[in-house]
Parts: sequence; structure tokens; C-alpha cells
Amino acid sequence: MIESSPAVQAAVQGQLGESMKSGSGKAFDRKNRLLFYNSTFKVVCICSAIFVCLILFSILIFMFRTGVLTFKTVPLTTFLFSTDWSPETETYGAFVFIFGTFALTALTLLFSVPLSVFVAVFLAEMAPKWLRNLLRPILDLLVGIPSVVYGFLGLTLLLPKLRDWAQVDLSDGILAGAIVLSIMILPTISRISDDSISAVPQKYRDASYALGATRFHTIVRVVLPSARSGILYAVILGMARAIGETMAIVMVIGNTPQLANALFKPTSVLTSNIVMQIPNVPFDSTWNYALYMMGFLLLFISLLMIVVIRLLQRKGASR
Amino acid sequence: MKWFKSLSVAAMALAIVTTGVSSANAASSLSGSIVINGSSALLPLTLQAKSEFQKLNPKVKISASSAGSVTGPQAVRKGIAQIGACDWDATKDVPGFKAFEGQIATPVAVIPFAAIVNSDVKVNNLTTQQLKDIFSGKIKNWKDVGGDDADIVIVNRAFGSGTRVNFQLKALEGGSIVSTGSNVKTVKSSGEMKTNVETTSGAIGYEALAYVAGSKMKALSINGVAPTEANIINGKYKVWSYGYYMTKGQPTGVTKAFIDYIRSAKFQNGSLKKLKFIPLSAIK
Amino acid sequence: MKTAAKAAATNAFSARSGSNRLKDKIFSLVVWGVSLVIVAIILGLLALILERGATHLSWDFITGLPSEIEEGGGIGPSLFNSFYMMILSLIVSIPFGMAAGIYLAEFAPDNKFIAFVRICVEGLASVPSLIFGLFGIALFVEMMGLGLTIIGGAVSLAFLNLPVLTRVTEEAIRAVSQEIKQASFSLGATHLQTIRKALIPSAISGIVTGISLVAGRAFGESAVIILTAGVTTSGVMWDFNLLSPGETLAVHLWYVQSEAIVPDAQLISQKAAAVLLIVVLAINFLFRIPLWVRERKLR
Repeated sequence: MIESSPAVQAAVQGQLGESMKSGSGKAFDRKNRLLFYNSTFKVVCICSAIFVCLILFSILIFMFRTGVLTFKTVPLTTFLFSTDWSPETETYGAFVFIFGTFALTALTLLFSVPLSVFVAVFLAEMAPKWLRNLLRPILDLLVGIPSVVYGFLGLTLLLPKLRDWAQVDLSDGILAGAIVLSIMILPTISRISDDSISAVPQKYRDASYALGATRFHTIVRVVLPSARSGILYAVILGMARAIGETMAIVMVIGNTPQLANALFKPTSVLTSNIVMQIPNVPFDSTWNYALYMMGFLLLFISLLMIVVIRLLQRKGASR
Repeated sequence: MKWFKSLSVAAMALAIVTTGVSSANAASSLSGSIVINGSSALLPLTLQAKSEFQKLNPKVKISASSAGSVTGPQAVRKGIAQIGACDWDATKDVPGFKAFEGQIATPVAVIPFAAIVNSDVKVNNLTTQQLKDIFSGKIKNWKDVGGDDADIVIVNRAFGSGTRVNFQLKALEGGSIVSTGSNVKTVKSSGEMKTNVETTSGAIGYEALAYVAGSKMKALSINGVAPTEANIINGKYKVWSYGYYMTKGQPTGVTKAFIDYIRSAKFQNGSLKKLKFIPLSAIK
Repeated sequence: MKTAAKAAATNAFSARSGSNRLKDKIFSLVVWGVSLVIVAIILGLLALILERGATHLSWDFITGLPSEIEEGGGIGPSLFNSFYMMILSLIVSIPFGMAAGIYLAEFAPDNKFIAFVRICVEGLASVPSLIFGLFGIALFVEMMGLGLTIIGGAVSLAFLNLPVLTRVTEEAIRAVSQEIKQASFSLGATHLQTIRKALIPSAISGIVTGISLVAGRAFGESAVIILTAGVTTSGVMWDFNLLSPGETLAVHLWYVQSEAIVPDAQLISQKAAAVLLIVVLAINFLFRIPLWVRERKLR
């Protein structure tokens, strides 16, 4: 971050002043005007950032304010560690959903990250130009398909196939969910990774080739490490979408509040449970509060995962 | 934001006053706006009534949305909707939900429900006791109720769904519905229920009768009585309920005009029948 | 970078070139193979959606009014609402999202609080859209008393897209190489000029990817709009009133799939899915054309 060090900035501004002074009288106006625009722009940017933060934090507070009322009647430990969720008898243990969310996300990342990185490398390094220009918009396109369509395809194509293959009564569960999610987030991860791989300066590759490295070595040892921050960001974004996805998951997960200890067992995750139950909930009941608390928990889990990934990255970088 | 609220309240009041005055002259000059929320099962009916009503009264603005039955009376209580659609009479307690005080329930349609199975299930009739045993998880195989040797897969609606509340009350006589097991799943909407029961072998579920016509699934007779309109009208088939519009106090102005329209003989015997609901007047 | 380059160098010289070449071959083969399989799956999926729906498309369907009872209802008003709402939400989210992203990339101090904000922004991208919908209800329907409106839906949608847009912009601007920036500064440009004339043009590919991601998402989103803009249209075409109810195509698709009783519900949902796909494809290409033109000019 060279530009952010004050000394350099002062030097740059000093230079700017010099060049302006050497001009005619009119240039002085121009300099003032430029400085005015410059500072206005900065203020606008700060205001937008504050506005964005304001919205985000008000959503956080909105969820937390309602969610925290759960603990008036349900002890925190019951909410976090009990596997018994039955609104009929007013017992609210969310462990099944928390576990399901972790399991589903992990399985999804296991499928989608390696595949996405392959696709990104292919797009950025290997594919001929015409193919690249054709494939990029098609990948972007997949993001725009409504999740209900993915869910419907999962329900009508994937579930019967899995059922026949595994010889079970119901094939709903984390495996079906992970397959659908992987297809959904693959374009996100691979396109953003692709952009960051393409942004690696050509001279790194040239230097590597000049040293006699093969393409494999260049990509694995030079290009991918250089693009790591962007790829990591792509994974985070994809993971965020996987954790938060609802409309598709709710159609293939089975929505049965039991622990996901097998690949083919109807289960439930935080999002699917929220979206299933929130339309039918009396709005000043513990049930409603518990659902908001689950929404807040969802956010907490994704923040946790992001922090963990960032820490891992830092560890990797310092090695 | 206060000024906005008061402004819109003023506009609403003005609209209601003008409609009150103008409705004396001609119905087509009716104006104002209605927000309808609540039951998704009644949504097709609401949407059809809305488009017909707006054709007659172009100045009336109606917007509808839906989530679940209980959303209807709740939205009315909060004041964010004038009409709340609900699959049960929300002025009375039902299992899981308390009564809403100060609201009026106006029946607008009769909704028939049926137990449905995948087309590969050989069973055509179940007694109430058999249904109760299946849904409470006691009977797990179709051969115990006279079918093939195949596992029973139970497809549920979410707890609190109007379809589930009515089915549980009227077909299972309040009996419990199993919520866990490797052959139990829950779905979110009538359409999903239909797709699941159609594509899963050995599946049983429950659905408003309107969705059964023209589908690949089979509606079961209960205690030997087939779920038909005739059997409901003559009182033999019990699994049906009224669909209600909830309002805060007696409906007035445009809201009243809209509810009157949906209850009119023209709509009840025309579009409502075509949507496979049963007219109110048919039930004695 | 240095360590990586060094590692590559030492390896290139220490390892036997034969095994290296073999590894290289296998790697290329695997990448090609995996990518082609995935591309085939994706194309198959797209072809499936298109084949089920697009073959039945007609102009009447695209511009017609929906019907609850008769077969042959159209999607005109909801398709219009989809475009209208997407544009409105982009108008709200692009300036704020980009400016916030520029702030995070260029102006923000490098301290714990900003790091926390950044993680929060990423985390919010994972909040289910349903929660944004509930927030939209609390803000527009309850606090402002607007009812279910296009503007409420569009702004809620913009909120949903803000985190993604902010982070994509930030990443894209960060990825611009330092030399470009230093060159701009050393030419005497102010910070604003540098951002406007050097950084954004260099980062534009990434930013456009971000915008087409959120545009596509705005087009395909249903949960937020069901809650804040309703499941009805005003029933006429070309209704620009911001306070009209705003059912979009994705919502109509959801409605037809989950509740509608019309006999051709299945077909309508397949056709609607195909239309959605074609529109999103068109948007993607439209956003990209200026980039291609620019690229060609620069060459």
C-alpha cells in the first residue's frame, strides 16, 4: 500500500502543486477545482460506506433484537445443543439445523472448490480465446437462474435418480443438497477466481517460463499463489451463498428435524427450517423469536467460517 | 416517516369517503386500495377475483401476497393489510394458534381436502383409524392396509400450514403426525406436495382437491366415501373447511365491495367453481 | 511472489525434466477433462431448461396477461416488472456499492474496525434473502406504510445486492497493479483522477462481472419480492407507477409452481424459466459488448 503512506501522498501532492504553479493563472482555479472534486469524492465515498454499513448493521440489530427474546423462555444451552425441535410442544433445540448447515456447507465446498479452480485455470490459462469469450457469459448466466428452478430440477431429476441408485425410500438429504448447491455456486467461484487469475501480471508467467518451468509449475507455483487472495475471496463468496441458499435447498433436503448422520436421510438446515416455518408462525411467540435467532446464528456461523478461512490464509502466507 | 404514514392514512380515508359517496351513484367509480395477505391456498381465488373486480372498477388498486394462513390475521392486526386470508376461522383457537380478537371472519369459499397417494399404490380406501396409524407412524408398510409390500413414505406440509391444520382436525380427528424418520419429509407448498407425491413411489400426503384433478396422483376414499363435490354437498365426506377473509371489525368501503363481489352468486357459480372450489351456497 | 518464483525456479532446475513434462501433460489433460465435463453438464442443464420451455414460446405468452382459470395465460406484466425492478435496484445499488467498495479499497485506514466491517459485509452476503425480505417488510410496509410496492421491492433487492457489489468492486480495484496507480500519481493526477481514469478502467472487467452477477440475481430472486412487492401485478402492461404491486417473473414462476391451479401450470413454469434464462443470457452479453469493443480498440 504505497499510496496510503502519508509521506508518499504528501510528496505526490507536492509534485502536483509544483506542476500546477508552473502553469498560467487559470491553472490555479483548476487546481482548486480538482482538489475540491477530490475531497468531495472522498466524502461521497465515505458517506456511501457509512450508508452501506448502516443498512447492514440495522439488519443485524433487527435480527438480534427479535432473536434474543428466545432466551426469555429457552436456555441458551438447550437452544444450541438440544436436538429436539418441535414447535408443537414448545421445545426449541436448534442443534440439528446448526450441524446440518455445517455438514452441508463442508460437503458442498468439498465438491465445488476443486472443480471450480480447475475450471478457472482452464478459462484463464488454457482455453482458446473464442471458447473463453463464449464460456464466461454462460457461467455468469447460471447465477441468474432462479433458485426455484434449480430446486425443481433437483426434485424432479436428481432425487429419483439418487433414489434408484442408492435403493432408499427417500433420497432427500445432505448429499442431494450438496450436489444442487455445488452446481449453483460453481459459476460464482470459478468466474471470480478466473478474474483474479487473469489479473496476475503476465510478467510473472514470463519470468517463470524463462526460468525453464513447465506450464504445470508456472500455474501451481506462481500463478495460483499470486491469485490466492482473489480465489479465497471467491470461495468465501460461494460459501456465503451456499450457507444462505434457501429456495433450492428446501426442495431437496427433506425438512425433517433429525440429525444428518447419513448421506441419504431427510434432515434440515438453518435456512430451510426458517423458510419452511416463518410463514406459519404467530409473530409474538417464542417460536418466531427462535427462528430469528436462527437467522442471527446463521450470520454468526458464516462470519466464523470467514474468519477461520482468513486466519488459515494468513498462516499460509507467513509460511 | 410519520408524515408519510399520516399522508397515506389521509389518502385512504379520503378514498373511503369518496367511495362511500360515489358508490351511491355508480359502482364503476369506486376507488381506493386493498392489500390482501395470508393463506396461499386461497391465493388463486383472490387473484382471479382481483382481476375481475378491477375490470369492473378500474380505479381500485388491489395488491395481494401470501405466506401462510396465520400471516393473514396477523397482517390485519398490524394494520398492513385490509384483508387476511385464512384457511380456518381465526376468531377461534385452533391447535397451535390462538384466536385473534376484534376481527371478523367472512367465509368466501369451501375448500375440499383429500388424502393422496402415488399412482403405484394399490390401496383406494382407508378408514380413519388406518389414516391415523399411518400418519402417526404406527403402520409403516402398505401391506398392512391391503396394499403391496412396500414402505410408506409420508409427505407432510409444515406445521401451521392451513392444509395440515384442516387435515389433522377433520381427517385424523386431531391425531398426531409423525415428524421424524427416514421416510418422512416436509414440503413447502401445494405444488411441491403434488410433485413429490407424483414422483415418489409409495408416497402418501394430503392436498386441497383442486390440485388433484388432471394430476398423476390418486385421491383416496375415506371410510368408503370418495372425495367428490357431491359427497361434500350431501354431507357424507367430512374433510373440508371454509376459507375465510379476516377483517378488522366489519368490512367497509372498497374492502366490503370486494368481499361482496367474491361472495356474489356470479363469482361463486362462475370462476370459483372453475377453480375447483365449492360455492358457499351449496353447503346447507 | 518472490518466494513463489524462487520455488518454481529451484524446482525447475532440480527436478528431472522428463517427469516434469509428464506432470505437465497429465495436469493439462486433467484440467481440460474436468472443465469439459463441467461445461458439458452446464450446457446440458441449460439445454434442458430451454428445450422444455423455449420450444413452446410465443409472442402472446411473452406479452399476454396471466390467467388463473383458462390455459394460455401470459407473463407480460411480470416480465416488465422484472426489468423495471432490476433497473431500479441497480440504480440504487451501483452508486452506493461502488463508492463503498472504492472507499474500502482506497481510502479506508488499515485498522481492526475496517477489517471487521469487511468481514461483516462478506457475512451479509450469506444472509438468506428471506431475512432481507423481512427487513423490507419492517421498513417499507410497517414503518412507511407503503403496502406492497415496486419501490419497496426494488430497494430491498438493492440492499440484498449491496454486500456483493461492494466486495467485488473492492477486490477488483485492489487487483489493479500498483504501477498503474503510481504512474498516474507521478503524472500529477489527483486521487480522484487516478481512480476515475486509471483504476476503474483497469478494474472494469471485474466490476462488470460483479454487476452482471447482481443483475442476474435481481432477476432471479423471489423470496424478497414475494414479501415486499407481493404476488400481484397491477394487471396492465407498462405501468411505471412506483407504488404499484410488483410481481416479477421469478415470483410468477414460484407462484405457478407452488400454488396455481391452472391446468397448464407446469408448462407455464417451464416457459417462464426459459424466458428468464434467455433474458439473463442477453443481459450478460449486453454488459460485455462494451468491454469487447474496448479491448479490440486497445489492441
